[in-house]
Amino acid sequence: MPPLADVSVMIGGQGGDGTLTVSDLLGRYFRKRGLYVYTSRNVLSRIRGGHADASVRASRDPIAAQKSTVDVLVAFDQEAITIGASELAPHGYILYDSTAFKSDLPNATGFPFATLVGGALGQPIFKNTAAYGALSVVFGFDPAETRAVIEERFKRRGGEALEKNLKALEIGRKAALEAAGLADRYSVADGDAHDLVMTTGNQAVALGFVVGGGRFFAGYPITPATEIMEYLQRYLPPLGGVVRQAEDELAAVNMIIGASYTGARVMTSTSGPGLSLMTEGIGHAGTAELPIVVADCARVGPSTGQPTRHEQSDLSHLANLGHGEFPRFIVAPGTPVDCFEMTVDALNLAERWRVPVLLLLDQALCQNTTTSPRFDVQRVHVDRGERLTGDAVAQLTQYKAYQFTESGRSAYAPPGTPGVWAEITGNEHDEWGHVSVNPTNRVRMMRKRMEKMVKARDELPAARLFGPADAKVGIIGFGSTFGPIREAQTVLEARGKPTRFLQARTLFPVPVHEIEPFLKSVDVAYVVEHNYTGQFARLLRETMPAQHAKLRSVLKYDGSNFRAPEIIAAIPEVA
Amino acid sequence: MVESAKPVPPIWCPGCGDFGVLAALKKAALEQKVAPYDLVLVGGIGCSGSIHNFLEVNGIHALHGRLLAQAVGVKLANPGLTVVAAGGDGDGYAIGMGHFIHAFKKNASIVYVAMNNETYGLTKGQPSPTSQIGFEGNIERPFDAILTALSIPAPNLIARTFSGDPKTMIAVLGEAIKFTREGRGFAFIEDLSPCVTYNDTYKLWREKVLDVSKVPGYDPTDRQAMFKICLDTMDQGRIPIGVMHRPKETAPEGLEAKLLGTALGPARSDISIEPNLASYQKLLAALS
Repeated sequence: MPPLADVSVMIGGQGGDGTLTVSDLLGRYFRKRGLYVYTSRNVLSRIRGGHADASVRASRDPIAAQKSTVDVLVAFDQEAITIGASELAPHGYILYDSTAFKSDLPNATGFPFATLVGGALGQPIFKNTAAYGALSVVFGFDPAETRAVIEERFKRRGGEALEKNLKALEIGRKAALEAAGLADRYSVADGDAHDLVMTTGNQAVALGFVVGGGRFFAGYPITPATEIMEYLQRYLPPLGGVVRQAEDELAAVNMIIGASYTGARVMTSTSGPGLSLMTEGIGHAGTAELPIVVADCARVGPSTGQPTRHEQSDLSHLANLGHGEFPRFIVAPGTPVDCFEMTVDALNLAERWRVPVLLLLDQALCQNTTTSPRFDVQRVHVDRGERLTGDAVAQLTQYKAYQFTESGRSAYAPPGTPGVWAEITGNEHDEWGHVSVNPTNRVRMMRKRMEKMVKARDELPAARLFGPADAKVGIIGFGSTFGPIREAQTVLEARGKPTRFLQARTLFPVPVHEIEPFLKSVDVAYVVEHNYTGQFARLLRETMPAQHAKLRSVLKYDGSNFRAPEIIAAIPEVA
Repeated sequence: MVESAKPVPPIWCPGCGDFGVLAALKKAALEQKVAPYDLVLVGGIGCSGSIHNFLEVNGIHALHGRLLAQAVGVKLANPGLTVVAAGGDGDGYAIGMGHFIHAFKKNASIVYVAMNNETYGLTKGQPSPTSQIGFEGNIERPFDAILTALSIPAPNLIARTFSGDPKTMIAVLGEAIKFTREGRGFAFIEDLSPCVTYNDTYKLWREKVLDVSKVPGYDPTDRQAMFKICLDTMDQGRIPIGVMHRPKETAPEGLEAKLLGTALGPARSDISIEPNLASYQKLLAALS
C-alpha cells in the first residue's frame, strides 16, 4: 500500500483509559515528520467512565477538521469497536486490548495490553502507552523518534512516570513486532510543515486577550469555555491582571461591567446556559455604554443540551439578545490565528465604540487542537478610542460621559481621573448620565447608540474570500466550518469544480456590503452552519431579501462538526 | 475647573429614611477626606439605589441585585478607588442574595449599605424579604441580614444603624469607609430606613432598637457572643443595632490586596504593547 498522505487514527475506550494521551503522542510524532495535525475528542460530561474517544489526523496539506474515515482504530473495550468500526476505512485495521474480550473481526488484532503492562510494571494504566508502541510498529515509525516523543511528553514529570512509560512503549512495540503481518502495514508520507504550533481556539482567545491589553476576567466554569479562564489564571496575574471565578454567570458579567467602568479591558467567557444568564448584563452594558467582550463557546443547546458537543445555534440569540434595543457586534473567528487576532479586534472595538462585543466561537474551534502558524504580536495594535487622561481632561470645560458627537463616540474619563466624575447608568439618561424621560433626549440617545452599528462598519473584521472570483457556486460559513469548507474546496478544485467561499468574520450587524456583492457574483450560495433552522441564512435573507432565491442551507446538528465530504455531498452542483 | 455631572434633587418622599443615609454619607466622606473623583457610589435598583444621583461623586447605577458584583469588579480593577455600594432590602436580600452572601466571603474592600425598609417601596409596597409576618399578607418569616452576616467566618466589618439616629450612622459609615480604605475587607451596614409611604416604622423602630454596645458582654471581636446578643435581643422583641463584628485583624485582608498586593491593578496598568512586549513574546514562545 502506498504511503498515506492523510492519516486518521481513532482511540476509543472508557473515560480514564488514557485515549487522549495516545492521540497526543501520535500528534507529536506526526508533527516531527512535518505534517499538519488535528486532534479531536468525543467525551461525555462526566469525570471518569463512559465511552470516550480521541482522534488524531495528520496530513501533508493544511487541515482543520476530522477525516471522514479512520485508518486505524485502537479499542480498549468492545464498545469502542462497535462505535469506531462504522468509521473504519475499507483498508482500515483495528488494534484492541484483548485483556477482557476477543473480537472475531478479520481485520483486527488483539493484544492483552493491560495484562502485559500490569504484569511488568504493576500498573495497567500504562496500557495506553503500550498501544502507542504497537501503533508505531504498524505505521513503521522511526524507533528513536517514537521514543523521543515519550521523553518529551513525560520529561516534566520525569522519574518513575517517564521510566514506566518508556517500558510500556517497548512492551507494546515488542508485542506488535511479534504478531504476524502487522509491522509496517501502513506508512505515512513526511510533510514539510514546520514552525507551526499546536493550539486550540480557547488558548488563542486567552492569548489574544492578554496581548490585546485585557487585564480583568471573570467567569464561571462551563464546558466548553472553561479553558479560557484556566489559561488566563496562568497568564494574567504576572502582568498585574485579575482573574476571578464568580459565584455564577450573573456575577461574572457584572464584575466585568464594574471593572470596565474603571477603564480596564475586560472579558468573560461562557456557553449557552451561561449566556442566557449574562443576557441582562450584556443589555446593561449596551445601554450604559460600558465596553465588554463576551466569548460564547457554543455547544449543543438549548437548556443543558449536550455540554461536550458541537453546535452553532446561539447566533440568533446573540443577534437578538436582551430586551429593548441596543447595539452589539458579533465577530466569529474561524481559526486559532483568527481567535488570537479577533479577540484583540473585539477589545479595540468594544473600547472605541463603547459597546458589548460578542465573540462567537464553537466547541470544535474552542477545544480541538490543530497545527497553526505562530501568533504574531507585531500585528497587534491597541486602540483605546477617545479615552481621556487627567491631562486631557484639564483642557475641557465640561466632561459629559455620554456626549453627543459627530463620530458617535463619546470620550470617557474613568473614575479616579482628577477633577471629573460622571453618572453611568442603564436607565435612559442625558449626556451627563442623569436619568431622563425627555422624549427628545430619548430619541437622540437611541440614535447615538444604535447608529454605532452603522458608523463602525468599516472597522469590523472583514470577510475573507477563497477560490476563483468567477466560480458560480458559492459557500458561506463562519467559525470552525472554515476548516472543512476549505478542505472541500481543495478537493473540488482538483476535480475541476471550482467554488467560491466567503468566510464571514463579522456576523452582526450583517455585513451586507460584503455579502451582497458576493451573492451577486454566484448563481447559488450554500450557507454551511451547525443548527436546525439555518440561523445565519435567515439573517442573510432578512437583510438581503433580493438575494433570497440564491441562498441554500447546509445544516448539521448531530453534535459533531462537519467533515469535508459531507459538505461536498450537500452541494448538488458539485457533488 | 471642569464642569462635571451635578447632583439632582432626590426622588424620595419627604421624611424618607434614605435622606439620613445620604446626609451621613456626605459627612463621612468629607471627614475621611475622600476626593469626589476617587469615590464610586454603586447604586442598586429601588428608591435607595438612586442615591448616587444626589452626590457629587462617580456614580454607577447597577442592575437590580447586581450592585455588589459590579462594586467588587470596580474595586478589583482599581483598588485606589473608594467604593460604596448602596441599595435596598429587596435588591440585596431577594434578587441579589447570591451576590450578598458571596460578598462576605470574597471580602473585597468595599462598603455596602443596605437600606432596609421591609418593603418594596418603589413598586408600591409589596412585601420584601425582611417584611414582618402579616405585612401586606406576608406569611413568610423575615430574613435577618445581621445573623446571616455573622454566620460567615470572614474578617468583615458588620453593623446595623437606624436612620433615626444620624450620629451613630455617621460614625459607623466613617469607620466603614476608613476600614475599606485601609484594605481590610468588606464592610456591611444594614441601615433601618423607614418607608414613610408604604411602611412607616419610625415610631415603632425608635421604641424597639437596642444599642448592643450597652449590653453586658458586648464584644464585636467575638462572633459567638454577638450572635447570642442579637438572638437574645430579638427574643425580647427588640431590634439590635450597633457594630456587630469588628475583626481583630488589622492587616490588609481585602481581596484586592490579596490579589494585587501594592500593584496598581487592571485599570491603571499600561497596556500598550511596547512595555509588555518581552512578556508577550515569552508567552507566545511557550507554544510549541
